[in-house]
Amino acid sequence: MAFNLTRRKFLQTATLAAASVPLANVVTAQAGVAKSPFTPSGTMADKTMVGGICEMCFWRCQLVGKVRGNKLMKLEGNPKSIDNGQSICARGNAGVQLLYDRDRLKYPMKNVGQRGAPKWKRISWDEALDTCAKKLKATEQKFGAKGICMFPHGASAKYPMQYLEHTVGTPNVSEASFFQCRGIRDTAFLATIGTPPGENVDMANAKVIFGLGCHFGENVHVSHTKRYLKGLENGAKLIIVDPRFSASAAKADEWVAVKPGTDTALMLGMMNYIIQQGKHNKAFIDKHGIGFAEFKESIAEWTIEKTAQTCDVPADQIKRVADLLADNAPNVSIHPGRHVSWHGNDFQRQRSLGCMMGLLGAMGVKGSFVKGKGPKGVGKVGWPKGEHHVEAMHVAAGIYPYSPPGTPTDLIRDAAITGAPYPIKSCVIWGQNPIQTIPNQQKTIDMLKQMDFVMCVDVMPTDITMYADILLPEASYLERYDFIKTGTQWDLSGKQQQYISARMPMVMADFERKDQVYITNEIAKRMGYGDKIPVSALPEMVDMQLAGAGLSIAKLIAEDGIHLQPGIDPYGVADDLLVYFNNAEIADYGYPASPTYIAVEEVPAGHFRLLYGRSPVHTFNRTQNNVWLHHAMPENPVWINDEMAKELSLVNGDRVYCVNSEGVKSRNTTIVKVTPGIRKDCVYMAHGYGTKNPAMSVGAGAGIDDQALITILAVDPETGCHGMRNNFVKLVKA
Amino acid sequence: MQYGMVIDIKKCVGCHACTIACKAEWEVPADKDRNWVHRLGPDNTPHGLASTYYPGLCNHCNEPACVPVCPADIIQKTFTDKKSGKTKTLEVAATYKDPFNGTVQIDKERCLGCGACADACPYNARYVNENQINEELGSEGTADKCTYCMPRVEMGLEPACVQTCLARARIFGDLDDPNSEVSRYKKMGAKSLSSVNVNIGSNGLYYGNKRDMALLTATSTPQVMPEANMRRILMAKMKPGFNKAKKLGMLGLVGAVAMKGMKEDKE
Repeated sequence: MAFNLTRRKFLQTATLAAASVPLANVVTAQAGVAKSPFTPSGTMADKTMVGGICEMCFWRCQLVGKVRGNKLMKLEGNPKSIDNGQSICARGNAGVQLLYDRDRLKYPMKNVGQRGAPKWKRISWDEALDTCAKKLKATEQKFGAKGICMFPHGASAKYPMQYLEHTVGTPNVSEASFFQCRGIRDTAFLATIGTPPGENVDMANAKVIFGLGCHFGENVHVSHTKRYLKGLENGAKLIIVDPRFSASAAKADEWVAVKPGTDTALMLGMMNYIIQQGKHNKAFIDKHGIGFAEFKESIAEWTIEKTAQTCDVPADQIKRVADLLADNAPNVSIHPGRHVSWHGNDFQRQRSLGCMMGLLGAMGVKGSFVKGKGPKGVGKVGWPKGEHHVEAMHVAAGIYPYSPPGTPTDLIRDAAITGAPYPIKSCVIWGQNPIQTIPNQQKTIDMLKQMDFVMCVDVMPTDITMYADILLPEASYLERYDFIKTGTQWDLSGKQQQYISARMPMVMADFERKDQVYITNEIAKRMGYGDKIPVSALPEMVDMQLAGAGLSIAKLIAEDGIHLQPGIDPYGVADDLLVYFNNAEIADYGYPASPTYIAVEEVPAGHFRLLYGRSPVHTFNRTQNNVWLHHAMPENPVWINDEMAKELSLVNGDRVYCVNSEGVKSRNTTIVKVTPGIRKDCVYMAHGYGTKNPAMSVGAGAGIDDQALITILAVDPETGCHGMRNNFVKLVKA
Repeated sequence: MQYGMVIDIKKCVGCHACTIACKAEWEVPADKDRNWVHRLGPDNTPHGLASTYYPGLCNHCNEPACVPVCPADIIQKTFTDKKSGKTKTLEVAATYKDPFNGTVQIDKERCLGCGACADACPYNARYVNENQINEELGSEGTADKCTYCMPRVEMGLEPACVQTCLARARIFGDLDDPNSEVSRYKKMGAKSLSSVNVNIGSNGLYYGNKRDMALLTATSTPQVMPEANMRRILMAKMKPGFNKAKKLGMLGLVGAVAMKGMKEDKE
């Protein structure tokens, strides 16, 4: 390492310093670390604020804040937490930089330019609220409440969502967390085991953990990941099915490099094999199973050979994995997944996971599917339902019978663009960035362009905010009260405890940022719904909710932000539990009653299937402007199989564009990551990069926005949710 | 006593929380790092396909390359053992190894920000914070690195990176205490990233399965001492002369002339 300029300058300054530095032997120093303006003090002596609840992601860990003067210096896990404990993830730690992001929205703004090419003019809150209310009211009067649509996300969007859904009365609300993420899982499990599963598998006490596409480690939720790691520490065997050697595959005993899209076939093949071997849990199935005979017959075609061929997985490995599951049953965690909107055949795959739980009897016992028993009593406060009930479009049309709550996204977009079955002319976007969450960006833009009015409420200038007429700055999760978090100790086999905590501000909101109750109430008053307002301020709402459990904000503060109480043993199988191996109701709607594999489109020649996933430093696309997180992983390398890279003359670090099979080219470039750890038929990149809004000065231009490349729409027929892994790309050298 | 850190890469999930907690605790500039996580692989190893992480930080080495190269004034510094109250006085420049707890620390207020220490470190564990100019010294900035969170540890807290680690993959303690958790890991085979040429007694140890350790050591073990090390040897030889010169109040001049000479030799 040669001396650089700095060293050269040192030589000059050393000479200059000679004149002013006092004699060395008169300098004395104290032992220990010297304190000076150059020695940071650390946050140990800073004021500790209790009651923080993270929302860098939806897992919502419990926090304390270290505050110096008026400034939040650091976030830590609340030492009293029996969930995340003192740990928080990279994103949780980086909440400080969201709070002080220089690009954060500060004032209400009016777009005096074009939608998509905005010019912002600062306006008063009064003007902003007047405009929003006037425009929404005009749509309501002209087209009915259903002429308003909403795209909400996060804890702060719940209150305004209820206002629009219940009180104003529009069914046209589409949550990305359902329609582009976990909705399919929840309704498929409802139709299989009678309950949405969450991520409630007792991995900490499992003998085998089975994950289909789960990439714990790249996907980090603290208490969830703690369960997973405790299980591994206790000797659980880990099976990871993924076309890519993910963070979890790297820790696995079996990495099943399945052909993308064929996962359901793999599940059916394994279940058929387990039944053929007589290793299924007959007693459990006799007691709790519905339609097992039909199911057994329906999947009989899935021999090991056919499965191996369909899934491009060695027959031996399929047997090995199936044996591992069956031989360790019922203490087996079949992970239900979370982001499951993959291929448009996802309802059936999620059903197959539920059936595997039933087949192994892996429910209610240690190490299996077990829901913790959290505290009861926390009350609900919400907007009253209005008199005019409008049926959602899919209900009226008799389609998507297993849709999650709300309206499937594409029905809203199509209605808005075509005007049929009715016009949708106002759009409220609250905390969601539909540009980067919903496939086919052009359709989203077309939908927005035809609106009479678009308003966005957010903390950051995300891509979607470029299309707003009015843009409102929201208080962040560190500056407001709201979410009530309840649950149990993270290790279900530990000392049974329950907790109740509520989000409290770490610091006061700066600039002109306001919270959701203020914004919603002010709009409601101006729209003539003032008499329906349920609470006047957020702390009041939280106190009303806590009162049901005999608590209050003041009491929680006195208890260091978390109330603990004795818990209830979560293990045991309810007598009335039913597992629908074959569900005749699904057939009544015209879909397969037993889990069925529906083939996905093959990869066109010269292309790769585009797969995406999580980076541990990003949540969806919400964190890409965070300087600390950006620095940790500034772009999202595209993974390509080493042999394919050789054929294409690509080497590690080459800079490439992606071009999809419909000719859409990525706006930005990224670097190539050449690895034997991915199949030859796909490429992979982390989601949550490449924002196009120049107002995001850190994230703009960094990495590729995978959503821009997802233009071919796949809609899961049972649920109306999107499948987002049916797009194909080429890598083009930049 | 010799503080050390074991990182159990069997447990580590590569979440990067350690790096961000450190930034918050010690106000590290956004684009600089006191610690880091490098994502390794997936790549083939003799033990199979592997993918793991290199969570790195200052190793508070037994023979730190960064300490002897510091050209700042030599002072008499008195250290106190926190346990016994014993004291020891050593002649140190602006960076030194604490004789009682074995950590390598920087006297920020005397640092010239020249970056020689950062150059000398084979692990790249130091950086110069160019936003911290000591005008009194006419400095270029201030060298910074991991302190093993000594101010926290002295208060009975864990280092910030250890506290936030959800995997409990970072284990901190006294390697001289045979009963400590870090010593237990050492006995199980935790090892430092050392090579034939870079063998300076790193107290950062790594533990994992064969394939992960193979990938970690193959990709992340420094193989050569940085070139600044040549200068380190020369400087070390000259230091007695330096001290004498300083006592005569001539440090700056002699030091500058000596170093300028060396630099020109190299070029």
